[in-house]
Amino acid sequence: MSTNLANLNTNPCKMCVPLGAVTAIYGLQRAMSLLHGSQGCSTYIRRHLATHYNEPIDIASSSLTEEGTVFGGEANLVKGLDNLIKLYEPEVIAIMTTCLAETIGEDVPAIIQRYRESRPELKTTLIPVSSAGYSGTHFEGWFRAVRALLSQIKMNLAPHGGLNIITGPASPADMRSLKNFLNGCGLPYTLLPDISQNLDGGHNPVYNRLPSGGTPLAEAAAMAGARLTLELTAFCPPEISPGALLEERYHVPLLRLNAPLGLRDTDALVKTLESLGAKVPQAVREERSRYCDAMIDAHKYSALGRAALFGEPDLVLGLARLCAENGLVPVVAATGGHYPGFEAKLRAEIGPTADNALVERFSVLNFADFEAIEYQALANGTNILVGSSEARRIEERHHIPLVRCAFPIHDHVGGQRVRTWGYSGALALLDRLANTLISRQDSTYRSALRQQFYQPEPAARPRSQAERTGRHPCFSPSACATQARLHLPVAPACNISCNYCVRKYDCPNESRPGVAAQVLSPAEALARFLKFKDSTSTFSVVGIAGPGDSLADWSRTADTLSLIRQADPGVTFCLSTNGLMLPLHAARLIELGVSHVTITINAVNPDIGAKIYAHVDYFGHRYQGRTGAALLLANQLAGLKMLTEAGLVVKVNTVLLKGINDEHVVEVVQKVAGLGAYISNIMQLIPVAGSAFENMSMVSNRAHQELRKRCGQYLSQMNHCRQCRADAAGLLGQDRSIEFQPAPQPVAPAVKPGAAVKIAVVSKSGVVVDQHFGQADRFYIYESDGREVRLLETRPIRRAGGGPSLCGGSCGGGEARQPGFTATLVEAVGDCNCVLALRIGESPSQRLKEKGIAAVATYDNIDRAVREAARGLAC
Amino acid sequence: MDVKSTILSKYNAKVFKGRQDHLLEVDAGQTQEIAANARAVPGLMTNRGCCYAGCKGVVLGPLKDTCVITHGPIGCGFYSWGTRRNKARGDGEGRNFIQYCFSTDMQEPDIVFGGDKKLRQAIKEAVTIFHPKHVMICSTCPVGLIGDDIHAVAAEAEKDYGITCVAFSCEGYKGVSQSAGHHIANNGLMKRIIGADDTPPPSKYAVNLLGEYNIGGDGWEVERILKRVGYHVVSVFTGDGALADIARAHTADLNLVQCHRSINYVAEMMKTAYGTDWLKVNFIGLGSAAESLRRIAEFFGDQDLKNRTEEVIADELAAIEPDISYFKSRLEGRRAALFVGGSRSHHYQDLLRDFGVATVLAGYEFGHRDDYEGRQVIPRIKEDADSKNIETLTVAKDDKRYRAFLSPERYEELKSTIGLESYAGMIRDMPDGSWVVDDLNHFETEQFAKLLRPDIFFSGIKDKYVLQKSGVLSRQLHCYDYSGPYAGFRGAVIFGRDLTMGLYAPAWKMVTPPWKAGDREGDAANA
Repeated sequence: MSTNLANLNTNPCKMCVPLGAVTAIYGLQRAMSLLHGSQGCSTYIRRHLATHYNEPIDIASSSLTEEGTVFGGEANLVKGLDNLIKLYEPEVIAIMTTCLAETIGEDVPAIIQRYRESRPELKTTLIPVSSAGYSGTHFEGWFRAVRALLSQIKMNLAPHGGLNIITGPASPADMRSLKNFLNGCGLPYTLLPDISQNLDGGHNPVYNRLPSGGTPLAEAAAMAGARLTLELTAFCPPEISPGALLEERYHVPLLRLNAPLGLRDTDALVKTLESLGAKVPQAVREERSRYCDAMIDAHKYSALGRAALFGEPDLVLGLARLCAENGLVPVVAATGGHYPGFEAKLRAEIGPTADNALVERFSVLNFADFEAIEYQALANGTNILVGSSEARRIEERHHIPLVRCAFPIHDHVGGQRVRTWGYSGALALLDRLANTLISRQDSTYRSALRQQFYQPEPAARPRSQAERTGRHPCFSPSACATQARLHLPVAPACNISCNYCVRKYDCPNESRPGVAAQVLSPAEALARFLKFKDSTSTFSVVGIAGPGDSLADWSRTADTLSLIRQADPGVTFCLSTNGLMLPLHAARLIELGVSHVTITINAVNPDIGAKIYAHVDYFGHRYQGRTGAALLLANQLAGLKMLTEAGLVVKVNTVLLKGINDEHVVEVVQKVAGLGAYISNIMQLIPVAGSAFENMSMVSNRAHQELRKRCGQYLSQMNHCRQCRADAAGLLGQDRSIEFQPAPQPVAPAVKPGAAVKIAVVSKSGVVVDQHFGQADRFYIYESDGREVRLLETRPIRRAGGGPSLCGGSCGGGEARQPGFTATLVEAVGDCNCVLALRIGESPSQRLKEKGIAAVATYDNIDRAVREAARGLAC
Repeated sequence: MDVKSTILSKYNAKVFKGRQDHLLEVDAGQTQEIAANARAVPGLMTNRGCCYAGCKGVVLGPLKDTCVITHGPIGCGFYSWGTRRNKARGDGEGRNFIQYCFSTDMQEPDIVFGGDKKLRQAIKEAVTIFHPKHVMICSTCPVGLIGDDIHAVAAEAEKDYGITCVAFSCEGYKGVSQSAGHHIANNGLMKRIIGADDTPPPSKYAVNLLGEYNIGGDGWEVERILKRVGYHVVSVFTGDGALADIARAHTADLNLVQCHRSINYVAEMMKTAYGTDWLKVNFIGLGSAAESLRRIAEFFGDQDLKNRTEEVIADELAAIEPDISYFKSRLEGRRAALFVGGSRSHHYQDLLRDFGVATVLAGYEFGHRDDYEGRQVIPRIKEDADSKNIETLTVAKDDKRYRAFLSPERYEELKSTIGLESYAGMIRDMPDGSWVVDDLNHFETEQFAKLLRPDIFFSGIKDKYVLQKSGVLSRQLHCYDYSGPYAGFRGAVIFGRDLTMGLYAPAWKMVTPPWKAGDREGDAANA
């Protein structure tokens, strides 16, 4: 029993339990299924399976109506069985319950018992399967049906030395290839279920309405006498494991392996079979060497892949392992249900691959829907989607190619023949992955290069200057009280050296241009944008203001802008720059829809400029003195003209430097006004320790105001400038950037440097510290020495009454939830050195402190937050 | 043994008795009666779906400006997600909910402790993320049983978020098929949406298109033709439809009813409340499309409009004539069976006739007796326990908005000349000796295919592979096998092309392996 984390599942990544159950029964010879419930369940599932497998799917229904919900469904079920037996004469009928039957409390085993007793002549084996649609996903449904079968048929206990092979859901083609391999090994075996024939049949002279392929019932019954069960699944819950049942009841030893997806897991299966006496056929050895050869050949394409994987948990694990062994980084791994250990296993698999490729962010998601997958895929820079066809909407929207390799595939043919298992399946899949990445590269990289080096003609600007400017807080005094803006610190590099500036990234106490607590990658910037957008209703402007120069490292800025533009076509972009690279990138800026640009121009005379700029770096050369200043000036003015001609709103900032340009500013303003600048912003110098102008005295406020007045004749003046940080967020003057930053170092009892500390993390997603302490329904306990980060365990919170929380985190926090709950929470982390949460209230924070536990409020990737906290504790 | 006895003899006595009145051989001289809209026989693999499928899947699903939340466990929402191939353009503000599936994904604790809390949160999340103006809630089986008050939750959401939020108690077990769900959806639209916006249409000749779900783009072809003649389409129920338009439906002069089964309730209720007349039309088939256009023009009675109608018909037909006659030459003399929902089995006979293809069997999955025999039987249809469970909405005349377009005399005249407010049903259009079968099941499909040997069987995905493995071409008429449109003039060409490609697919002639030459009967269906 589990509670779902989200209330609204948007575009589900899972199907219901009965669907999995009927699919598994298709792997049994001469067997049929009857769904006990409303006929829609059977109709929907038939439609769904037929579209994927392109085979007749015949599932009967007891067609319960409202009357049945009042008086019980026995009469209908009995009629249904009678008719099915009379017309089809199946050897086995599996009777699955649906949500309806389970909710009205039908006792199907008892009904079946009575049915059998009243019909002594009955030859058909009847198997009730409990499969409420709300009791898991189709993945569990598959195993429930297999287990129900083995637990209810009369087993044959005679020992026979054969092997039992039980798998989870797979394509008929994969099952066929597994059988071929097993046949070649020379070991007797029973594969259950075996859907290879019934769900991928041929065209025959006579249509046979009863599925004639699959595992014969007698063979399934003989599984009780096997020497060993190999169960090829990592995530089948033990309580519904068919192998566990054979072990408990008939003492058939159980060995679990991962599904044979990828090299290592196929190797593991081969090794196990060898140890059991199998002779590995020469053909299989050759397949392995061919796959290795292909892995090496394809590595240069694979390594550029950033994949989002989704589907059943075994599939996702297998795909992740296959990707990892090919150097392809899974940046999203998601499954629709909730499986203990899923996250740990996937993180262990993906982590080293990601590190190796310098990928900082990847997400592992339980209970995921495609909305969550899409969000994470974009934030993590996915370039290939791998799984079912239900991701085709993401493919369409974002032009990220989708490799369809898992059920359900509704928009392509051949779903039943998709190969992923074994060496040959891995090879087939690898070829598809690599080719998908190649075609993507082939179709985009030339145009990307072209855009970078040969800019296309600027596009016409759609909106009027006044309209766009009215909503911009930095350009319109009336907007600055109501319109929030978000500065994204994505541009760390600078290409000129101003004598008034020393750039330091991390200085949370300062608020001035060029300062940011942390530099973001474009993907992180997107994530921050989306988070900020959610939290602010008056949001209108995204700016890039450094902390270096926005155009010095062009690709970071361009990537950030295009990611955000994809996510929100309506947002206003602004950007500030020293103007050096402006002529080169102006056209592309315009194309990306940047509407507001700020250029800092301190002088329009190279001789004066020479006193302000120590050097200018341009295309690999460093220019100093007058040459550097002249170069910068020429580019500033040319860039300004390009922008204003294209209709952009340009603000010109000028830093007032006493004795250097204070007399020259009027000239600067006149010049830029002539080139079409919209507003001028004359700013006081903020003397910075360590800079060349550290000791320069400031122009008096009065002189500053007078100067603004004089310049106001030529160009309107910005009087409301607050000289923001490069990561400013919110309304001017109400900076909220601290909320969007990593936490400050914890104040906590010191721990010996280098020693590992235990850190409890409160998280809803399991990826990011994103939940309030008081809303915790589990703690993720990590260990870290400031370098390595290791998840030790997930610790569920028991409420006083026992049982996991049912509130799903949606009802208030802290004490309101239950008296004494804070104490429970504090007690639960008693062995930890530190707690990380999105917020922690005053009282719990105090209680933690009393126990010597540091409390840190943060919003960050768990790994990074834990590492930083561990470092903080150690110093 | 005749066809009927051959098939029924396989059943046990009870089923024999139950099924015999659902099968009839057409006797052109007689008035024939059929049993319909009765419970499906358990275990026989009916093709029918459930009440939820009719409400959420058919009527509400195609609305593009509406966030439809399925309240229930995950399966129902998933299986009704984008599966009917209704096409829709965005509403201009970038909103198009057709691509989405929203579900409360109920888990065991929700079934035990009630799911209304979760539903309330889900609506909140949907409103926060997607900013819909309209939210519809559709319940699945367990919801009715555990007693979640979805209507109260909807009312609360309207208050809290200033949106339109309507709940539909369309639990799967209600009624005997999708049909119950259509009715429930019709009631909800009538009660809450139609009449909410009195903005008058921008031009005269304003019509609504009812029961057109834009499968494969059918609605677009029909709208194209209507606009060409000079009509203004106020709203479409519900293909590429928007609740914002449906709110203005009562301002139209005439309701055109394409699918009688799924939407006739709205047509009737609008007549009572707003005085809007309705006309059964059929835009499937060249002859029937032309005839429908002529009857609509006659309703408005304007000579210019009538002239324009003739011009458009002549022009459209001339444009496609070469294609149609080519495909006709390839198809003439073939025999078809049709088994679709509640109106297409009738509509497509007209189109098949245009290509010289005869119908040997037709049946409805969830039609009522009036869809087979004509509306005159409605007063004589006995109400049973299952239909009593579905609310019959009684509407009153809306004095403020009631508007009779026709004078009483003209109304009476048009009733007899263009069949205003009538539908004569499918049987009377069928050839002597053909078969009508209600709620055809898997077993009977197979038997009829064997006994009647149609060249092509129009049905859905559930029997498609049964038929094709039996050597009979199958085309899906629910989703058009991802093709379409088939409606109107241009659609007819696509239909002819699709049939031809199917019947002449080279594979049919190649199925016999070299080691068994000449073994298979009927192999060369296309020799």
